[in-house]
Amino acid sequence: MSAEILATRTVVAQSNFLIPNGTIIVELVIFLVVLWVIWRYVVPPVKRIMQQRQDMVRKQIEESQDASERLAAAERKYEEALDEARTEAAKIREGARADAQRIKEEMRAAAEQEVAGIRQRGEEQLTTQRQQVVRELRSEIGDLAVTLSERMVGESLADESRRSATVDRFLDELDGMSVTDGQATARSGENR
Amino acid sequence: MSEHVLAAEGGIEVGVHPEVSFLGLTLNIDTVISTAIAAAIVVGLGFYLRAKATTGVPTGGQLLFEAVTHQIERQVEDNVGIRTAPFVVPLALALFFFILIANWMTLLPHAFDEYLKPPTADVNLTFALAFFVIILVHATGLRKRGMGYFRHFAQPTPALLPINIIEEIVRPFTLALRLFGNIFAGTVMLSIIALLPEFVYWLPASAWKLFELAIGLIQAVIFAVLTIVYFGFATGGQEEEGAH
Repeated sequence: MSAEILATRTVVAQSNFLIPNGTIIVELVIFLVVLWVIWRYVVPPVKRIMQQRQDMVRKQIEESQDASERLAAAERKYEEALDEARTEAAKIREGARADAQRIKEEMRAAAEQEVAGIRQRGEEQLTTQRQQVVRELRSEIGDLAVTLSERMVGESLADESRRSATVDRFLDELDGMSVTDGQATARSGENR
Repeated sequence: MSEHVLAAEGGIEVGVHPEVSFLGLTLNIDTVISTAIAAAIVVGLGFYLRAKATTGVPTGGQLLFEAVTHQIERQVEDNVGIRTAPFVVPLALALFFFILIANWMTLLPHAFDEYLKPPTADVNLTFALAFFVIILVHATGLRKRGMGYFRHFAQPTPALLPINIIEEIVRPFTLALRLFGNIFAGTVMLSIIALLPEFVYWLPASAWKLFELAIGLIQAVIFAVLTIVYFGFATGGQEEEGAH
């Protein structure tokens, strides 16, 4: 074995290593096998996959653009809706305030009206009561006058003239009282 | 003879491969083995990628492969036009990954004398790739443009005909020897570093291997891009010649 190697080395020493020998054919065959494998089995599937991924990335970019556009549109719509809601709320608030004002006015008017009605009714009642009182008083005073006159006539006629003057004045005063309302009621109360 | 001189100076052998004879061919068996390993790694990665490739969240390896594929597709589109020669994409892709892995086999430990060197440090692989590519380039040019293909040898002026012909002939050699030279120089450098005493040897060796990673990547890129550019010239994508 060592002798063989020695022999071949002698051959190599005589040949130039820059000149190819039979190895070149084997080398070419080996490379052709590599080339065939890569050509046939590696490049097509990898290229297909690269193509698919490029398509996928393109699609994803499109989708993301689409999504961001839709997001922007949604945001715009949201802003619009918000503005609309704000103006609507302001409108409602204004309306409510106006309603409140109006209701207040109406209630005030109604209350005033009622007060006026009550006052009127009270006044009317007072008037009727006064008239009634006056009427009662008149009849009573008549009775009293009759009783008084009976008593005066019955008991003594000594100072007839003076008594008649007193009765007259009394009657006059009563008449005067019936002329002025307020004073009359006050006086009639006093007199009672 | 030169080997003996080198051996006398530093005890290193340059460009020596253990050989076997097979069907009348002389084979550099270390190159064949390391090429087979590189090919197995590339094919394995390819099938792994195919199995793991997903339209969902991609793995880092898938992203890397897709980035490389995308770059190559762009290069092909710029230089040739994907429609003109769609097969250039997998070809450049296979060249790139195969050469990259082959170059990066320099990472293999070489504590032993007969370690596996990067197969690209052997002209047999680089010439095989370069001639394959150039033949394919000319075939594609002929198929796309018919006999008019030969007209581009006389452009921009017929006076440049001999220079153009020389350039076309030289192309596979430059393509092959550029790759070979870079990687081969790296292995020579490692052999020289290996002459250092063992207690310091690891430091420059590691640094140099890291550097070799970058060189391997750059050379793989250059080979793949030049392949695309040559296809561009041949199919008339661009008429002006690039610098080598």
